[in-house]
Amino acid sequence: MTTVAPSGGTRERTRLASGIGAVPPARTGTRSTARPRRFGGRLRVLVAAAVTLLFVAPIYLMLVNAFKPQDDILANPIAPPWPPTLENITQALTRPDNLIPLGLRNSLIVAVVSVALLVPLGSAFSFYISRKQGRTKAAILVAFAAGLMIPPQVTLLPTIQILTWLGLDHSYPGLILANLGGGYLSFAVFVYVGFMRSVPDEIIQAARLDGASGLRVWWQIVMPLVRPATATVVIFLTLWIWNDFLNPLFILGPLQGQTITTGLYLTIGQYSVDYGQLFGIMFLAGILPVIGYLTVQKQFVAGLTSGATK
Amino acid sequence: MSGPRRRRRGTPDRGLALLAALALGLYLVFLVLPLLLSLRSSFTNENPLRATNDFIGLRNYTEMAGDDQLRASLKVTLLLAFGVTVAANALGVGFAILLNRTSLSYRVMRTVAFLPQVLSGVIVGFVWQTILTQNGVLNTALMTVGILDEPYPWLGSPNAALLCIGVVVAWVLSGFTTVVYLAALQSIPLELHDMASLDGVRGSQRFRTVTWPMIAPGTTISVTISLITVLKLYDVIAVLTAGGPANSTQSTALYIVKLAFTSDRVGYASAVAMLLLALSALVALTVTGALRRREVSL
Repeated sequence: MTTVAPSGGTRERTRLASGIGAVPPARTGTRSTARPRRFGGRLRVLVAAAVTLLFVAPIYLMLVNAFKPQDDILANPIAPPWPPTLENITQALTRPDNLIPLGLRNSLIVAVVSVALLVPLGSAFSFYISRKQGRTKAAILVAFAAGLMIPPQVTLLPTIQILTWLGLDHSYPGLILANLGGGYLSFAVFVYVGFMRSVPDEIIQAARLDGASGLRVWWQIVMPLVRPATATVVIFLTLWIWNDFLNPLFILGPLQGQTITTGLYLTIGQYSVDYGQLFGIMFLAGILPVIGYLTVQKQFVAGLTSGATK
Repeated sequence: MSGPRRRRRGTPDRGLALLAALALGLYLVFLVLPLLLSLRSSFTNENPLRATNDFIGLRNYTEMAGDDQLRASLKVTLLLAFGVTVAANALGVGFAILLNRTSLSYRVMRTVAFLPQVLSGVIVGFVWQTILTQNGVLNTALMTVGILDEPYPWLGSPNAALLCIGVVVAWVLSGFTTVVYLAALQSIPLELHDMASLDGVRGSQRFRTVTWPMIAPGTTISVTISLITVLKLYDVIAVLTAGGPANSTQSTALYIVKLAFTSDRVGYASAVAMLLLALSALVALTVTGALRRREVSL
């Protein structure tokens, strides 16, 4: 849902070391719990926990009701699932339309192929342009940055027309191609250019004097140096493409199968699905991004916040 | 560039240049070209049901002036953009201050607070639908406690539905703003807080004079992204209300898609899309510009 615009180079690296859970450098603003304060420790934890619980209540509902029979959901949606049942999950997985297995497979293909192509395209372009000087470079970078804020509704229809001319409308290659050229590439370039600035010129010149080609310098020297940028780009683009709605809905269309996001929308929107199965489907559709987030949480937060501090 | 390397450029760089050109080409074909086509289409009566399309000059743009649905959609969009941005940022600052501690329990809470941001708008929409629908969790809870006697149509009455969408979007975004404000808080040198303590500056006064000015860069990012997110928002509204009841939650982004894909009025949809684009550019430039200047003056 969110578009983030990190900037700068070296700072991100230091920031990357202090993710959400890491201990911050000695003299910055997170007060350690040992320091005496007016707003007492116990009370504060209780207030914070209460607010957090209220905040995640919708996600709690999604989780517990996925493991409750239909009657229990209607009788008391808030109660914990005891004894838990896997009925909803199995039902969702074995639907005759194969919504979940197909949707997950399609989403995975689109996200993995798109990101696998966006990373080399974005980083090679950023490396190439960051070695250039002058106004053309500045103008191109501004044009790419502008791509971040263009509402997808503006470019959707012409994009479908262009894909039709290419004979790729309503196809997965078409959807992936549209992903490569749009705002996602903008984001990748934006992140990479910030990092490329901090790659020392001497290293590149030394490699060049040894006769290494541009491609080789980029792949073997620059890419390892900008790994944090690659982490940010891969994490966010995977999540956004996975969760994307408008493009797959209209570029693929209903006949070409669906991604997990559009499949969820079309199925639940068109057919009446009982609550038990609805929660089972939502659990299965949401669990992968959540697991992914919990796994790479530090890089996730670092990428998100790199533009937020001076 | 020095002599020997200049001589050796050309061939060895060709591969990289090709790759960069490919990226630029894709960007031109799938972002710049669609923009231009959309602009061109906005001067036509393009309609997929018609064999030929004619240029009709500025007629789409003059039609916009008298379009009540468009005016209503702009009102919805601006109300949502303003309300959600204020709410999500206020919540984010409050949440960040509350959670800005290092012990394990706070770290767990911070992890959890960001979860809504990870889920797709479609899932978020359906989860909230089970809460807000007629026999949903909210009505059940309010009736059990005795606040309501009969279920209230949260998504079925115009003002309540708009409010609900605002709440849901603010909920998603505040996960993001919290993380941004936490990072901003953590970048404040502790010396500043120590000095404020020595001067006896506490509580709300300390927030006003130390914390708020110091988190200004976080505010800039947070506010800009909140605004842009709401301006292009589609999935959450499509799932929760599909623009209803009676178009009361139809944002401009939804109106464009409806014009183009349901009413087949592609030319007019393109003109409205140009308006949304201009609005986004205006917001991004003026608000972000103002916030950046504010960072310096604070």
